[in-house]
This record gives sequence, C-alpha cells and structure tokens, in this order.
Amino acid sequence: MSTVSTVTPGSVSELSARELRRAAWSRWGYRLSVVAGWVVFVGVWYLVARLVLTPQQLPQPHVVAVEAWDVLRLREFGGNFQASILRVAAGFLLALLLSVGLGLLIAYSRWWRRLLGRVLQFVVSIPTVSFAVLSLIVLGISPMGPILNTMIVATPYITTNLAQGLTGVDRRLIVMSESFGRTRAQIIVGVLIPSSLLSILGGARLAFAVAWRVALLTEIFASADGIGLQIRRSFESYDIQGMLAWALLFIVIMLLIENLVLRQVERRLSRWRTPATGVAP
Amino acid sequence: MATVLIEDLTKVYPPTINNPKQVQALGGLSMSITGNVFVAVVGPSGSGKTTLLNIVAGVELPTSGSVRALQEGVPARVGYVFQEPRLLPWRTVVDNMLYVQDRKSDRSRREAEFYLQMVGLGDVADLYPSQLSGGMQQRVGIARAFLVNPDVLLLDEPFSHLDALTGRSLRDYLQRIWLQSRKTALFVTHDVTEAVELADRIVMLRPGGVTYDDISIDLPRPRRHGDPAVRDIQDEVLRRFDAMGAAVRFGAEGV
Repeated sequence: MSTVSTVTPGSVSELSARELRRAAWSRWGYRLSVVAGWVVFVGVWYLVARLVLTPQQLPQPHVVAVEAWDVLRLREFGGNFQASILRVAAGFLLALLLSVGLGLLIAYSRWWRRLLGRVLQFVVSIPTVSFAVLSLIVLGISPMGPILNTMIVATPYITTNLAQGLTGVDRRLIVMSESFGRTRAQIIVGVLIPSSLLSILGGARLAFAVAWRVALLTEIFASADGIGLQIRRSFESYDIQGMLAWALLFIVIMLLIENLVLRQVERRLSRWRTPATGVAP
Repeated sequence: MATVLIEDLTKVYPPTINNPKQVQALGGLSMSITGNVFVAVVGPSGSGKTTLLNIVAGVELPTSGSVRALQEGVPARVGYVFQEPRLLPWRTVVDNMLYVQDRKSDRSRREAEFYLQMVGLGDVADLYPSQLSGGMQQRVGIARAFLVNPDVLLLDEPFSHLDALTGRSLRDYLQRIWLQSRKTALFVTHDVTEAVELADRIVMLRPGGVTYDDISIDLPRPRRHGDPAVRDIQDEVLRRFDAMGAAVRFGAEGV
C-alpha cells in the first residue's frame, strides 16, 4: 500500500524549528568540547606538577597564573609585548607583500611554478630553530632577526595559498566580465582578488600560527627586548614560574588574535557561502 | 538600429594535449542581422554556435573573416546571457547586476531593481546567488544582460541546464522582457521548439560551422508553447533539421 505525505506550511515551520534547535545544540556542544579540552589540559598539568615533578621543574597551574598576573602588573609586560607583536606584524606584512609577487609568478608561469615550488617546499621543511640560530650568527642581537625569520617562515604558506586561489579562479567569470566590457583592473578587483581571498586568508591564518612561534624563538636567541628575551632571562635565573608566565601570556594573546580576529574576518568574508534555501525557480 | 555583419568567418582551434587534431568550429560563415530582430542560430553540437557568440562578444578572436557589431556606425554595446548564470558568488544579486554597470549610483541600483522585477525577482536583490535556485540565478543572468541597455543581446543556450518546466517559464520571461525592449538578439540553441517560440528568423548551422538554411518565422507575439501555428513551424524546421542530418551523414551538399 502506498502512502501519501502532505507537507503543510505548519509542518515546514516545525521542521525549521527542529533544525534550529539541533543547530543550537550543536553550537553548545562545540563550546562545551572546547572548554572540556582546556579543563583536561589544566587537569593533566596539575596532576603531573603535583604527583610526578617538583615545583622547581613544573609549578602548578594556579602558581603560574598568579605569576602571570604579577608579570602583567609589575614587570613591563606592555613594552615587551609591543616589541614582540610589532616584529610579528612587520614580518607578516613583508611576507604578505613578497607572497603577492611570488604567488602571481607561480600562478601564471609554469617555469616559476617549477622553480619556486621546490624552493618553498624546502623552506617549509627547515626546522624553525635553525632560523633562530642562523639569525644570531648573521645578524647578531638585532630586531631584524625576528622580523626576517617571521617573513621567511610565513611566506611559503601565504604564497602557496595565494597561487592556489589564483589558479582556482573560475575562468568563466573572467569571460563574463570581458564580455560586459570590464577592464583588466576591474576584473582583478572584482573577480581575481575576491575569488582567491578566502584561500589567501586560510594561508595567512596558518602562516600567522607558525610566524609568531618563530618570532618568539628568535627573540629567545637573538634579541635585546621582547617576550622571548624575558623567557630567556627567566630561564637563566632558574625562574621557571616566570618563564611559563611570560610564555603563557603571549600564547594566550596570540591564540586570541588567531581565533577572535583572523577567524572572524574569514567567517565574515565567507558569508556568501550560505546554503541554498530551496526556493521555487 | 543595430547591425551585426558576419563575413566569411572561420575559427580553427589548434591541436591540444587532449585533442591532437585541430578542430574547425566555424568554416566561412556569413550572415547579416539588421534591426530589432530576434535571430536564433540552431545547430547540432560542434556547429560553432557558442564560438560564434564569443567572437561577436569580443572574447574570442576569429582565425579569419570578420564580425562587426555596430550601432549607428559605432561599436555596439553587448549584453550576454550564458548557458550557466555566471554570477559572482560573493556578491549579492543586486551587486552582481551593478558589477556590469559602468557607473554605480542610486539610479543604476534602481535600474537593476527594475530589471529584477521584470524577471519576477524584485524581493531577492539582497540575497546571495547560493540562496537562489538554478532558475532564479538564470533569471538574474537575463536581467543583468538587459541592464547594460545592450544594442545587441547574445544568448547562449540559456535554458539548456534547466528542467523543462523552468525553461518554459524562463522563455516566457525572456519573451516578455524582449517585447518591451526590442533589442537585436542573437540566440543560440539546439532546441528547435524554443527557437520557433522566440525567433523571427532561424539560421541553421551544420557541423563545421557552415550555414545550412535560413528560415523566417512570421508569427504574432507573444507565442505560446503548444500553439498550433507554432507547432506547425516547429514540425517544418524539424523536418529540415532531419534532412540536414541525412545530408551530413551521406556527405551531400544540401537537400
């Protein structure tokens, strides 16, 4: 026996309400899992500090938190943070500029793609600590070290994503633009940049995550100020609490920038990827 | 009044890695279109229909021969409706319309909204293409082509990717909007039914891009699907189409 199902406006709105509830639960589930991850991390830290290691080897989380508060209030965190973040920003900006040129070469020239593809692969596979040591040997104690290292490490990620974005541009949209008499500049601004923007942002986010770690590492080896230098000083004076506190503060701020700024920008720029509503033709 | 003059047009694509032989899409095609007429170019796959439109639009160059699309002696402004909507997915519907406009002003936005209303999409101006169905996106494509106030309207099988019902409804929209504007239209299709419903003249191409037949359609508008007069002409065009198929198969020059 066949059955006939009837969809009424009421049942459609019920379905939508159910889907909305499910989406809300899914959002809360995601938030809870993030919080649970942090709770587990702090819990394991606490247990290891309490049961396995001594306070001189690994202080407990609350001790580091109190030390971090002291660092924030009393130990010129602002000045050192400013020095570090400006280097990350400068290196990152240089990497962006360099990547635009390299990305265009890779996207539109087979010869350059072959040449630079191998070079970028090589750069990505170099251990980041090598850059820190190398900059100490070549540049000595200099603010240029973290900047250049950030640029070198970030460039392959942004370049590769930019080139992928440019080669993935829908050629039919360019033909459409040409047929309506759009100029080359209008096509670059109207089609090429927007269609590769998400790819570039993805690469930039990845590059940023690697870049600030390299900047910090280079500061530990070869800098006259910045968070990295403070970590080294704490280490040299056997102040493990201070070392962890400085590192923790910087990591937290970098993660906030990554997640609250870069991810939000990416989300805002990908608004147009909303699913089809299934409206009538 | 717009004129499209096509003289001895040939397009040969060179061999590629995927296709080691060169392909002749158009082989010395000549035709002229004068005035506010709707001309359908009908032919099987490989008869160079899309190539012809691309050359008229200026996005492809011919191997030899010439195409001149003129409006009162100066190059004509072209509006193009593609097989697929070709909308910029990151722009809203109205911003997609404004992208093809030279000047962005309140007036151009009002004009864009006017043409969206003409195709029954007045209330989706601020949605993104991904929020529309395929038929709605194609209607935006039609509205966009009319928005530039084209002297020559090019349509490349705009209904071929749609289901039959949606295609028919879009043909009605196109017919209605064309009757109001009366632009010189060059419409490429392999569907004889829609060619007869829409066109004043049907140019039949055979494989290799050569004219096989040129038929005038003298029927009042708007034409309705299933109208006996429309059906009679469709039958006649289909008969000629079959004859062309036989002629091509047996290597004859014509029927």
